[in-house]
Amino acid sequence: MSVAAQGVRGVGRSRSEWLTPALASLLALALVAATSVIVLDGATGHSALIPRSPQIAGWLKGIGGRLGYAVFLWAILAMAGAYALLLTLLSRSRAAPSRRRLALLLLVALHAIVFVGPILLSTDVFSYIAYARMGVVHGINPYVHGPAAIAHDPIYRWVGISWRRVATAYGPLYTLLSYPLAPLGVVGALWAMKLEALLASAGTLALTWRCARARGLDPVWAIVAVGANPLYVIYALGGAHNDLIMLAAMMLAVSVSLLGRSSSRNDALAGAAVIAGALVKATMAALLPFMILSKRRLGPVLGALAALAIGLLIGFLAFGIHGIDVVAALNRDAAFVSTDSFPNEIAHLFGKPGVFPVDHDLLKASLVLIVVHLMWRTWRGYDWIAASGWTLLAISVTSTWLLAWYILWPLPLAVISRDRRLLAATLVVQALFVIHQTSPLLAPVQ
Amino acid sequence: MSGAPVSADLDRWAWLPAPLRPRAGEHPGSGRTRLIETTLLVLAGMLLALATINDVVRQTHTNQRLIADLRTWRSYTGHPYHNLSIEQELFGINSHREVVCGNTSPGGPKARVQLCLAIAGPPRGPLRTVQGGWYLPPRSEDFRADRYACFGPAARGMCGR
Repeated sequence: MSVAAQGVRGVGRSRSEWLTPALASLLALALVAATSVIVLDGATGHSALIPRSPQIAGWLKGIGGRLGYAVFLWAILAMAGAYALLLTLLSRSRAAPSRRRLALLLLVALHAIVFVGPILLSTDVFSYIAYARMGVVHGINPYVHGPAAIAHDPIYRWVGISWRRVATAYGPLYTLLSYPLAPLGVVGALWAMKLEALLASAGTLALTWRCARARGLDPVWAIVAVGANPLYVIYALGGAHNDLIMLAAMMLAVSVSLLGRSSSRNDALAGAAVIAGALVKATMAALLPFMILSKRRLGPVLGALAALAIGLLIGFLAFGIHGIDVVAALNRDAAFVSTDSFPNEIAHLFGKPGVFPVDHDLLKASLVLIVVHLMWRTWRGYDWIAASGWTLLAISVTSTWLLAWYILWPLPLAVISRDRRLLAATLVVQALFVIHQTSPLLAPVQ
Repeated sequence: MSGAPVSADLDRWAWLPAPLRPRAGEHPGSGRTRLIETTLLVLAGMLLALATINDVVRQTHTNQRLIADLRTWRSYTGHPYHNLSIEQELFGINSHREVVCGNTSPGGPKARVQLCLAIAGPPRGPLRTVQGGWYLPPRSEDFRADRYACFGPAARGMCGR
């Protein structure tokens, strides 16, 4: 090779050495800026996108304007674009020394900005607090009554109108976890819920890092793919959703299963962690059959059974039979229909006004078929983590009640899965969800 | 590391016919299964994408109609009010005929006598066609029993009194 050619290659390499980190930093800044716009504008209040809430971010008032649909949607689209480009850049620069620092800085900044801001986009956190106050302050069983039973309580006015007569659908472990927050008052409990979501997210990301490393995957890329995801940051973290606690339990189960030596004790712990997550939100139980089929040992079964027995006993003692009747809560929620759900969109595509009862049966049948196929594939050697992720994705896509944070369930599994199709499918579904929100940009209603 | 079953674990299943036995990892010959899965995934993805785009277009058209409906109510009544309620399903969800209600004099939402207009047809310029309407007493929802003074062809049979 000539000296000149070596020189050209050297210049090219040195250019990419500074250009890639510089571009990555710019994209990270774009993510932080778009998040800041949503949080600061949201703190001003008087927006249909920000639920009525006690003043917790009043000191941020006046920095931004009122958060309208156009600003929100442009910010989300900008975040989605920056996120996609950043992931592409990070996947092509595995050797760059600064990427780990950049990733950590980005994730800390996004989490801090959302933490100090108002509750975004959902009233669910007020329901969590209401259920806790029902049990602790008023001695009312949240599995029997909705928040309407405490209409005189200061939290009641903030609970979403549609949920005021609805008893809790969350697992007894989550309800008991929320009980210590009830005596903190409404504002104190709200901050505690935000802190709980923040810590759960940090736990999820730390465990994702460890799992990615254990599988020989790039941990920096994995945590950015989860922690800088626009739906994760704005919807899940912004709304302080308890799905983050479920995700932390899920990644704990996967991490115990991947990291420890293959012993009965570890298998049992992993099975128990799945049940712990399912006692927060029942959906997580979907992981268990795949873990059992993959391990083909008694460990996960025994661990799961022991955790289930303890969990149900505690749930029964604390809340009676209603506290452990997960099937009734799931059946009730499965009948709901949201405008963003894919079955509803498909019904519109075929000229129907919405989802009919027969469609619910067809969707359940499709889900059963998918799960049976995945169980068979897992038995025959397919990656059980990927199979679990596909199942969570299938649950969210076939559900008639779809919310943004539901399509985050498969994401941490997708980034550590051996089947890259799962990550592609998860991100495509998330992109379609975002696209579905954009009609106010095309015809804004004043 | 990943807790993959060792061969001793697999030997326990040797009594099963070969096609039913578990495996420690995917068989190299599972490419056909993956191809079928991927094809189905692409088809499902295309259906979801089509449904999403169709819904965005549908919602955009609905928003355009709603914008024209609000303008039509304000133009018809001469009141520049913003607290108007729109009902899209009274005449059927696919009828594209909406009912817009608003106060006839300044006041809080639904605090005064309300005028409801049945609005239909494609937007002509910024407005649509008023095909009829009715009045509602203050602080009442749009229930048939409360409607009075119905007018226009669209309101035929809509009044309870």
